[in-house]
Amino acid sequence: MTGPVQVLVVGFDEPSYSGTVLAELDRLEGAGVVRLVDVLIVQRGDDGSFDTLPPPPGARDGLGRIAAEILGGGDSDAEPDEATWSLADAVPPGGVAAVALIEHLWAESLVGAIGAAGGRPLGELWLSAEDRARL
Amino acid sequence: MVLLVPRQIRMTGMTGSVPYYGGRLTPAQAHAATQPRRYAPPPPPPTPPRRDPVAALDELLTQGVISRAEYDELRARVGS
Repeated sequence: MTGPVQVLVVGFDEPSYSGTVLAELDRLEGAGVVRLVDVLIVQRGDDGSFDTLPPPPGARDGLGRIAAEILGGGDSDAEPDEATWSLADAVPPGGVAAVALIEHLWAESLVGAIGAAGGRPLGELWLSAEDRARL
Repeated sequence: MVLLVPRQIRMTGMTGSVPYYGGRLTPAQAHAATQPRRYAPPPPPPTPPRRDPVAALDELLTQGVISRAEYDELRARVGS
């Protein structure tokens, strides 16, 4: 693993297996932009508990295993820390979500260049659609 | 379906941890402030059932904790 890995959580009313998102990620992976490390589909019960759902038909063997290991295996009694995050912060009770681990291959050299230049992170955010429209 | 217990993972930015926010809440703190409490407060301890005061006075008298005079006085306060 070399590039920064993003955790992307996308909610759905129902599990969506259209394949369009995975196809786009495949395209970006082919272009060397990102790499889909893993994707996991979870369902949160009304009582707050999480269950993993089966991967889409035709998915590669073991899909979701890495994400489940990284994001699961917690202690239900653990107190959250202000610097930590869990799926419970993102997925509301009764929700279904796809959780993707996406390695940003393009960023590896940029992060390395910043570090080599002695730069240190002071701020990092995304512009809103409103501000992007002003570009 | 397999049960998954979410683990607390440390948040960081693409270029690393962003430590200084000019005295304002960090994104992590702001995020936490918008979240409902994930753990319900512990339930209050159960209140013991209320005893019959006359029976309690009888017991205290039997055990010699209070005298007959004290018993009569307290019994009069309790009523029937």
